[in-house]
Amino acid sequence: MSDSPDVFNYTKKELPSNFIKFGYAAFVVGLVLVVLSLFVDNVRSAFSGVMLLMFVASIGVGSLFWIVAEYLSGAVWSTPFRRVAEFLGAVLLVLPIIALPAYFNMHDIFHWTHEEVVKTDHYLSAKAPYLNVSFFTIRTIVFIAIWVLFYFLITRNSKLQDSTKDQNLTRKNIKLSAVFVPLFALSITFFAIDWLMSLEPHWFSTIFGVYYFSGTVLAALAAITYIVVTLSEKGYFFQGVKEDHYYSFGALLFGFVNFWAYIAFSQFLLIWYANLPEETIWYLQRWEGYWMYFSIGLIIIHFVVPYFGLLAQPSKMSPKRLKFMSLWILFAHFYDVMWITMPTYQEFGYIPGWIELGYAIFAIGLILVIFNWKAGKENLVPIGDPKLKRGINFRL
Amino acid sequence: MSSIDYTQELPVVEGRPTLKEINELIARPLDQKPDKKFYIALSITVSMLLIGAIALGFTFYYGVGLWGNNNPVGWGFPIVNFVFWVGIGHAGTLISAILFLFRQRWRNGIARFAEGMTIFAVMTAGLFPLIHVGRPWLAGYLIPYPNQHSLWVDFNSPLLWDVFAVSTYFTVSFIFWYVGLIPDFASLRDRATSKVKKIIYSIFSLGWRHSNRHWTHYEMVYLVLAGFATPLVLSVHTIVSFDFAVSILPGWHATIFPPYFVAGAVFSGFAMVQNVLIFIRKIFNYEKIITLDTLERMNKIILLTGSMVGYAYAMEFFTAWYSGVQPEQFTFINRAFGPYAWAYWIMVSCNVLFPQLFWIRKIRRTIPVMFVIAVLVNVGMWFERFVITVTSLHRDFLPSSWAYFKPTIVDLAILLGSFGFFFTWILLFTKTLPVVSIAEIKAVNEGAQPSHGEH
Amino acid sequence: MSDKILYSLTGLFDTPDEIIAAAKKVQAEGYTKYDVNTPYPVHGMDSAMKLPMSRLPYVAMVVGLTGMFLALFFMWWTNSVDYPLVIGGKPYFALPAYVPIMFEVTVLSASIATVVTMIAIVFKFPNNSHPLLDTEYMKHVSVDKYGISISAEDPKFNYESVKSLLESLGAKNISPVYFKDEVINFKPNTFEPKFVLSLIGLFIVVSGLTYVTLNKLMYLPPFDWMMEQSKVIAQERSDVFEDGRGMRTPVEGTVARGFLPYKYKDNPDAAGKFLVNPLPATEENLQVGETKFDIYCSPCHGYLAEGDSRLKGQFPNPPSLHSAKVRNWSDGRIYHVITEGQNAMPSYAYQLSREERWAIILYIRALQRSLNAKESDLQ
Repeated sequence: MSDSPDVFNYTKKELPSNFIKFGYAAFVVGLVLVVLSLFVDNVRSAFSGVMLLMFVASIGVGSLFWIVAEYLSGAVWSTPFRRVAEFLGAVLLVLPIIALPAYFNMHDIFHWTHEEVVKTDHYLSAKAPYLNVSFFTIRTIVFIAIWVLFYFLITRNSKLQDSTKDQNLTRKNIKLSAVFVPLFALSITFFAIDWLMSLEPHWFSTIFGVYYFSGTVLAALAAITYIVVTLSEKGYFFQGVKEDHYYSFGALLFGFVNFWAYIAFSQFLLIWYANLPEETIWYLQRWEGYWMYFSIGLIIIHFVVPYFGLLAQPSKMSPKRLKFMSLWILFAHFYDVMWITMPTYQEFGYIPGWIELGYAIFAIGLILVIFNWKAGKENLVPIGDPKLKRGINFRL
Repeated sequence: MSSIDYTQELPVVEGRPTLKEINELIARPLDQKPDKKFYIALSITVSMLLIGAIALGFTFYYGVGLWGNNNPVGWGFPIVNFVFWVGIGHAGTLISAILFLFRQRWRNGIARFAEGMTIFAVMTAGLFPLIHVGRPWLAGYLIPYPNQHSLWVDFNSPLLWDVFAVSTYFTVSFIFWYVGLIPDFASLRDRATSKVKKIIYSIFSLGWRHSNRHWTHYEMVYLVLAGFATPLVLSVHTIVSFDFAVSILPGWHATIFPPYFVAGAVFSGFAMVQNVLIFIRKIFNYEKIITLDTLERMNKIILLTGSMVGYAYAMEFFTAWYSGVQPEQFTFINRAFGPYAWAYWIMVSCNVLFPQLFWIRKIRRTIPVMFVIAVLVNVGMWFERFVITVTSLHRDFLPSSWAYFKPTIVDLAILLGSFGFFFTWILLFTKTLPVVSIAEIKAVNEGAQPSHGEH
Repeated sequence: MSDKILYSLTGLFDTPDEIIAAAKKVQAEGYTKYDVNTPYPVHGMDSAMKLPMSRLPYVAMVVGLTGMFLALFFMWWTNSVDYPLVIGGKPYFALPAYVPIMFEVTVLSASIATVVTMIAIVFKFPNNSHPLLDTEYMKHVSVDKYGISISAEDPKFNYESVKSLLESLGAKNISPVYFKDEVINFKPNTFEPKFVLSLIGLFIVVSGLTYVTLNKLMYLPPFDWMMEQSKVIAQERSDVFEDGRGMRTPVEGTVARGFLPYKYKDNPDAAGKFLVNPLPATEENLQVGETKFDIYCSPCHGYLAEGDSRLKGQFPNPPSLHSAKVRNWSDGRIYHVITEGQNAMPSYAYQLSREERWAIILYIRALQRSLNAKESDLQ
């Protein structure tokens, strides 16, 4: 209450040095591999570029979603950790750059960019007003611009609050968040349709945007959880991060693992049951050759393991379990993106090679470098936020 | 514009009443004799129920030929009403289970009532598949038991999944509701003055004695039940959506149906809960327990879920165009501009456009306006099911069999009867059981928890 | 009755902070059989009383998983073993389609099991004769007070020391609670006449209702198993038509499918002259002919058509089909005999379709040729 004695004193600390070093090392190694791969096998590299773009976009826009969700729902438990999401959201700024390897090799990735094919294909020519290179480019730019704009507006207010402690800034951010939600829903849906669904231009699924959304928010949450648990174990944030906070992260992770499974299963069941050739093709591709093992792997990696890993109440509170599961979920999301992307590159299965690994390392390095850069500049805790004290004293 | 202080939590119960006052406030309606208004309301709902019962009697005697269902619209009002009522039921579990898991403490004021509504709505919904069978006394064949035909039910059929889903949903909701009621029965038992009431409450309280050695298990089981009820509530409307979506009919077969139906169900359910709560809080003087803030939050959820439904409408249209499949495209054009365009635009305006008014804070906090919007939402959601069912069927793949579905008077009477059935239960509920959870409200009263817990 | 048995000593507190402090103190003093009664769960009480975390979720998990696998097993057994049926082009074992029901059964069994375990096994409910019930103490903790009750069965229990402990904690209304007289004096008697009579009554009512429902009610309209239906039934009376018959006489000249009339009735020569075997002598047709010949012709004519009947003289033996007369008959002439019958041989028109008759003729020709092969056949 208002007469609560413990006034929160925040002193800015450098991030742990091995955290920073690891980020730079991963970034440099990844970058070298990525550049090398562009010369060795530019088609495969371009497909991996799609994976990179979608994975990093997941972290960025998913983090932005969690910031917005906190403002809208009035949640307090996550307020002390909101800056983690704000720092991770900064990867949105580099999305245009990492889209380049895929963008300049569009012709090799997207079947619908071949004009002579589109002309002879009834379905593709019907889609041509939507699926054409110029409109595609405009859409991608607009979506990223929307995200960057709102990211900029919301975090600017949040930063400003550190010094002014003005409650009106929270109010403003709530309004911005409310406006952002519908834009977010549409942008992420069409972003997913453009970059992932149109890899198979004949295939369509109404739920696809929701499917990508479910993976996105899960991956972003896992990234936030990992960083929060790691740093607070080292004494960052505030004294005595409680089990109640950990439990909230664990329960949300668990919930969204289930949500992903629900969406994925709904899409599969409906397509399997109706058995329409124009729809089943997508799953058949992922059931041919090696891809069958990848598909079974997806169920285990993305659902079974995290489900049982987070099912019990104590495991939702244990820092060790949370760190492991959040890394696992990040891997699962990357795997999911790969499972969506790669069957177009190689039918009947493939074996991930050093190119994909290079891109994965690059993604990790990139995210960490940007996080470290932001964390070096700004406060790790939103010290001016009016909900901060309630968040620190949060009890279930 | 009044501004909120974000450093303070909004109180769930306003005005810091004592625990004794809460106890009395909630239990009082159960002691008082029902007044005239109650009997008027009850006679209205019972007459509606009787009209429905008569229509049902005719249906059972003469057969389902009395309805508007015919080729090609074989699924008419019964399915529309079934989906509508199941949807209404969803808000209850959402409030009691999902908001519980999210630790939204404002739910405590409305959870009990919403759970009760769930049960009654599911009961109402459960009537319709039985009615649609035409000979409801043969519905026992839906249960997989070793019968004399040595045939088994078809476990591949979504209609059978429905049987399992709806009966499970009803059972689990009922258990959840009853578990929540046990401490309240004990409280009622201990304040009862008449002997009969005391015996009744004693039986239902099972001998509960507010022991903390019990509370600890009780809270855990409540959490487990909430954990089960949450995926369950999603699964129920998901399975209802499978009834449509596993087919290959354009307009039914869309992969977005499961989350779209769930969002729609929560949407209509919240609208119904909000409607009835507005009356309850006024009649029983619960303004301090069911606060305006609570109603505002409900309106926000209505806005959110309404927008989700709008998103689904948009995605259906886009994907129909994007797919390039002609029957798919035709179905959606036909929905918006065909013979049932009137129903479609009622649905869009009530479900997507009017709830957008809730962006304005003033409207979210003005009771008459929000009441009207929520009524419109329910109208819109009924029409959504109507549009989905009828427009996809009435113009199928074969233009020679196209037709225009018209409900008969019997259809309408049964629909009216379902409202009568539902509201009769609600009215009886308000006079026999505490419509707000006594124990839960006490627990979120200001000063009810230790000021500094252990560290 | 004068000796009341002490159950516990109780005390009441006004605030949640006080009760937490009291519980901590009582726990620290080493009491084990005490209980705290609060109108709602007070946060932090579990750790104050050092209660372990409830293990009921394990019940949910074990029963839920059992229910899930039983459901899966049951669906597999019914739909792919006991009565396999292809529905909607799905395989007999259609796992994705079983997921919804598996899920529902999991939830249902786990929820019921958890709640029943909690109520019946952990709480030992219903228990309306507990000494704490119906006391002033209970009336207070039910509303707004926080009570602690230290049981007399506690090994450390001592009336005076417990009383002073409660006083030192600031408890109000410190009062002893005794076991109820009717509980002490209760003697269970299963064979009480009232109870037995009501059981018998229940049995009669339930079985009578079941009998009436299944054997009488279900045969009355509209419950009559669809036995009475207002539709035209073949061979039955119908009020739709004037003559009261359900079936209509076909118009003159109607030809039933597969029953073209035979043109050469009583006219064997014309039949022999104009009828030609439409079937080619393929292996397939010959096989049909052999099968049908063996069934319908061989009992009298013999397997090799030599007139060696298997009927052992119970019936006049027919002539051999290898006679020059029959060999010189045209196919149409033999067809006429099969269709119309001859002498003692009846017509086989009802047993054999036209194609089958022609196939038999092909087979007869083959038999004839095998006994009277020409030189050209050997080449």
